[in-house]
Amino acid sequence: MSSNSKILSARGLENAILLSVLLFLFNLIFPQHDVVVLMIINEILVFGSLYFLYNYLHRSLAYKTDSPLSLVLNAGILGALLFFILSIANSVLQTGKDGKISFSFFNSLLFIILIFLFIAAIVYIFASFRELFFLRQKKDPSTYFSTMLSFFTLSFFSNILIHFDSSLDYPRDAFFYVTIILIIINSIRVAWIAFLTKKQKYYLLGLAVVLSIVFGFGFALIIDSKIGQMVLSFSPGLRTIFSLVMIYGMIYFIVIFFTTLFHLPTAEAFDRKAQEVTSMMDVTKLMTQVFDFKDLADTITSMTTKVCNSDSAWLITKNANGIQLNSVHNIGYVDANEVSDKVLGSGDPSFDQIEIIDYEALFADRKYKEHHYHMIAVAPLEVHGKINGYLFAARNKEKPFDVDDRRSVQTFANYAAVALENAMLIQESIEKERLEKELDVARDIQRKILPVNVPSSKELSISALFVPAFEVGGDYYDFFELDSENVAFVVADVSGKGISAAFIMAEVKGIFESLSTIFSNPKELLIKVNEILKGNLDRKNFVTAIYGVLNRKTGVLNISRAGHTPILKCSEGSVERLQPSGIGLGLDFSNSFSNSLKQLEIQLQNNDIIACYSDGITEAKNSQGDDFGFDRLEQLICKNSFKNLDDISNVIMKELSLFSQDNSQHDDITLVLFKWIKQ
Amino acid sequence: MAEFNVNLRGVGSVSVIDVKGYLDAHTAPELENVFNNLLDQKQYQVVVNFDDLKYISSAGLGVFMAYVETMRENQGDIKFSNMKENVYNIFDLLGFPILYEFFKEEKDAIQKFSEQV
Repeated sequence: MSSNSKILSARGLENAILLSVLLFLFNLIFPQHDVVVLMIINEILVFGSLYFLYNYLHRSLAYKTDSPLSLVLNAGILGALLFFILSIANSVLQTGKDGKISFSFFNSLLFIILIFLFIAAIVYIFASFRELFFLRQKKDPSTYFSTMLSFFTLSFFSNILIHFDSSLDYPRDAFFYVTIILIIINSIRVAWIAFLTKKQKYYLLGLAVVLSIVFGFGFALIIDSKIGQMVLSFSPGLRTIFSLVMIYGMIYFIVIFFTTLFHLPTAEAFDRKAQEVTSMMDVTKLMTQVFDFKDLADTITSMTTKVCNSDSAWLITKNANGIQLNSVHNIGYVDANEVSDKVLGSGDPSFDQIEIIDYEALFADRKYKEHHYHMIAVAPLEVHGKINGYLFAARNKEKPFDVDDRRSVQTFANYAAVALENAMLIQESIEKERLEKELDVARDIQRKILPVNVPSSKELSISALFVPAFEVGGDYYDFFELDSENVAFVVADVSGKGISAAFIMAEVKGIFESLSTIFSNPKELLIKVNEILKGNLDRKNFVTAIYGVLNRKTGVLNISRAGHTPILKCSEGSVERLQPSGIGLGLDFSNSFSNSLKQLEIQLQNNDIIACYSDGITEAKNSQGDDFGFDRLEQLICKNSFKNLDDISNVIMKELSLFSQDNSQHDDITLVLFKWIKQ
Repeated sequence: MAEFNVNLRGVGSVSVIDVKGYLDAHTAPELENVFNNLLDQKQYQVVVNFDDLKYISSAGLGVFMAYVETMRENQGDIKFSNMKENVYNIFDLLGFPILYEFFKEEKDAIQKFSEQV
């Protein structure tokens, strides 16, 4: 069946043309069909033309269903054209003296052309009605239509019976009336009218009045006029179909007229609903397109006014620091802030569903009001049960927010909440990525700042271990060869983390490197560093440091400590914790710094070990939250003091990672060890 | 994520800030907010009670350094009290005891303010 209909549709036009040509030739040869056989052949040819043309047309019209009004208009124009042609033809066609139409060649030709015009026009009108019939139907109503088609066919062919016996007109009449009843039933299916806009409905109303009259006159002309008689004598079936289509048009447009009339009061509400649906669709589309939080917030507020027909709208979000106004539409920032503070501040501060607030009552205590609202709707922006903010809509007019308004604002707010959440998450992940990039830069700076080699010699063995934390911690150490005997070293820790710590570190390196060539006294040098840092350092930043100068020959160590972790000295298996007084660099720029800073002079013995380190070691934590501490570090150095320095470093690092294995490394770890070997 | 809590209360003309938990680079902004509020209200006499503080990092220390100057310029100060030994050691290493006043008990710190006036 389906394959059959496919062939029919593909060949629809060819078949229609073929049959039309046959009909044309047949009528040229036999202008009059007085013989029954000729009449029957003619009827079959006419019906075939109608059928195939209908088959072809209703398929090509199926693409036009988006604009029902143009279907109506086209059908209407053709209806009017038919009416016009019928009227003209009545006077143009020559009639004989007896009132009968003379079948001259000219008349025949003109007549056949007219017949073709009629066939094409009524088939087009009928196919248009069919498309309108199927438009916006949820259930498949094709049975009703097919039944009607069958009765159209029966009405067509029942005319033949009259040729055999003129008393056999009752089947034709019966079929004719049944078809009219079916037409009435089918005309009621006009659901598509509801979906027109208000403007279109007015337009359709006017059109329906005109067209129902046009089709009515068309019917009258075909039933009772010369041209009607001519069509009847040419093909009674065609005239039946013609009149049925005219009746269909008349009834259909009357139905359309009344349906549209009844739909008019709801037209505005329907328009609004349609607008809401469009806005919702726009938002869902935006969700996937707009990632910028501010842009999205602006779009949401401007759409809110459309969705619920309000005059102003604004949007606030909640975060750790309170509420924040993100976007306003048709209202100033100050006003919006004032109203939202008042709304959220009064009574229950969190609404978990949409609330309508009487603006007049809210600002009852105020005599002067710059902005005049009557009602405000507040809808929570809720995602995963958490309220992230509120969407406000305010109306100037006395019109209250009805159930529909409330529902649409809330639905809109729900969509908006998800969209905003997405935008926020994307922004966060971009931010995170940026931070990670930044950390890469910081780590790179640190890596370049730290020395590649240690100046070990046979008298002084040096080992430096550095393990960076994920967030760059700001540890810095360096060695300066002052002369052939003296080597200076610095171990420092910059407060803070990340890129800012890395920059301070670079600054500090520059200062130490240049001052090391000028000052050989650690205390003087650190005082100078503190002076330089004044004005170059944020008030909340500071640097702890140890600066020492060691004479390789004599084993004399001069050392000062500016707030840094104590220096450890291991001599013959016992450890001493050296903590000369001194406050961190950048903590204080008065005399307190220089007054409190002490310098130690230590005479090292053979194989003495000096350890300088950052608090990344002593403050490393285990799963219980205990510190690694000084004692563990001291014991480890003591126990392993006979080993070479790199091995000691490795042991300490191994113990440290065992100790803090369940915790991530929070701070940089630096361990610088010196062992003096007397020559 | 380490927990941190900060609470502000007034004892006479002195503002007492209770800090609790872990004060590091991530939680320091909370404490900064409290100090900013105090500056807005022109409250310059501050005692920080460390009774419940478990850990302080360099960024945490930086908060006090950032505000102490303003407090002192306005005849106020930031004083510390009720510090646990491990927390005190961190302050001590950096030399804070030279620059700030530390008290065993909160009331002693408050008392100190009234003596100054």
